[in-house]
Amino acid sequence: MFKLLRILISNKNFLFFIFLEIVSFVLIIKSHDYAQTKTHDWQTAVAGFFDRQIYAINSHFYLKKYNDSLLKQNAQLIQALLQKKYNDKTPVLPGQFKVKPAYVLTNQYTFDHNTLIINKGRKDSIIPEMGVVTNNGVIGVIQKTSGHFSRVISVLNKSSKINVALKNTNYSGFLAWTGEDPNYFEVIDMPVNANLKRGDTLVTGGMSNYFPRGLLVGKIIDFKTVPGRKSYVIQMKTFADMTNLGPVYVLKNNYKAELDSLKLKQ
Amino acid sequence: MRLNLKDIFLLFIFFLLQVIWFNHVQILHVFTPIVFIYPLLRLPLQKNEIFNLMWAFVYGVTLDIVNNTGGVFAATAVMVTYLRKMYFLFLKNRSFDLENFKIERFTGLQRYVYYFSFIFFSQILIYLLDSWHFSLLWHKIGLILVNTILSLVFFILFDIIFYRTSKA
Repeated sequence: MFKLLRILISNKNFLFFIFLEIVSFVLIIKSHDYAQTKTHDWQTAVAGFFDRQIYAINSHFYLKKYNDSLLKQNAQLIQALLQKKYNDKTPVLPGQFKVKPAYVLTNQYTFDHNTLIINKGRKDSIIPEMGVVTNNGVIGVIQKTSGHFSRVISVLNKSSKINVALKNTNYSGFLAWTGEDPNYFEVIDMPVNANLKRGDTLVTGGMSNYFPRGLLVGKIIDFKTVPGRKSYVIQMKTFADMTNLGPVYVLKNNYKAELDSLKLKQ
Repeated sequence: MRLNLKDIFLLFIFFLLQVIWFNHVQILHVFTPIVFIYPLLRLPLQKNEIFNLMWAFVYGVTLDIVNNTGGVFAATAVMVTYLRKMYFLFLKNRSFDLENFKIERFTGLQRYVYYFSFIFFSQILIYLLDSWHFSLLWHKIGLILVNTILSLVFFILFDIIFYRTSKA
């Protein structure tokens, strides 16, 4: 008996090791047994708690990755939406606009001729005269590109004139910034035949080849006729907050060169 | 000899590292470095291994709870901790003074072989305990080998970070 005890004591490390391995194997077998899974509620609760914390920490590390992925998804959705608009309202032009996501790096809005810098350039197939939009409206047109960046002429630029139309009609005019409030614009040359109401929505007119027809621009705050001319001057508030820009989308019109060549021939 | 604060701190840090980061890292979409055994391989050697085994078990079970893996990590952690002593006894003779031995006394190559053996062994063990069949093991050996080398690179980095100033 003493001899047995002595053997046990002298091998206590090994026996303890075997004991712990047996416990571990029991845990493994239990976890593989479907019938036992219901008894593991507490384990699931603990694992769930840790998973939540880990997710919270990880989501910070991977925020940029998730953001980029969401931007790409959004770009694909915008592209699909544009295609649908074309199918619904105008002759179908399959794949006319390609959408590329980008971020605004610097955004001017305090000068008369404001520009933006975005983080995509020639290496991302961005070229001058591509339209730039956000989810909420038009931002501007690419002016110049370098390898990795592009300069955008903002709609907050007195020399910028973007074609806009009254939603669901063919009456159109030009968006012009007055140089005062960055979220308020004038729309000029809107024909007086247009039946305007305050609160009506203005969308892109689609005649400039930079933007497809039907992208949101803003809503009418007020309007008046111009003496001596058969047109309205409209006070408009943009849907996009021009002072708070982050992710944007660059629109590439695949038929622009073809359309421009026809205009030149005129 | 009991565990000192640094050993406990390392166990805690590597638990977090494995759970928060390495479990979600997929190098080339395939490889997930196994770093949780690093603090176990650096535990001080003791004549009475019961404390080390107990710590290894608690450490492994905690990883199992978080990963919902039953007892796979616990079994692996305990096995590594026990076999580690055998490894030293195999390398040295029986008169080898385990209590006063420090891993810093190993030459660089000896240490890397030591790490490599246990990373490789623990990955095979985890795979077998998790999948419960041997048939696909040979197909996995290549992946396990590359993953072992990747993990070893991290172990070398950890040595530099945590034990650079230590002297044998």
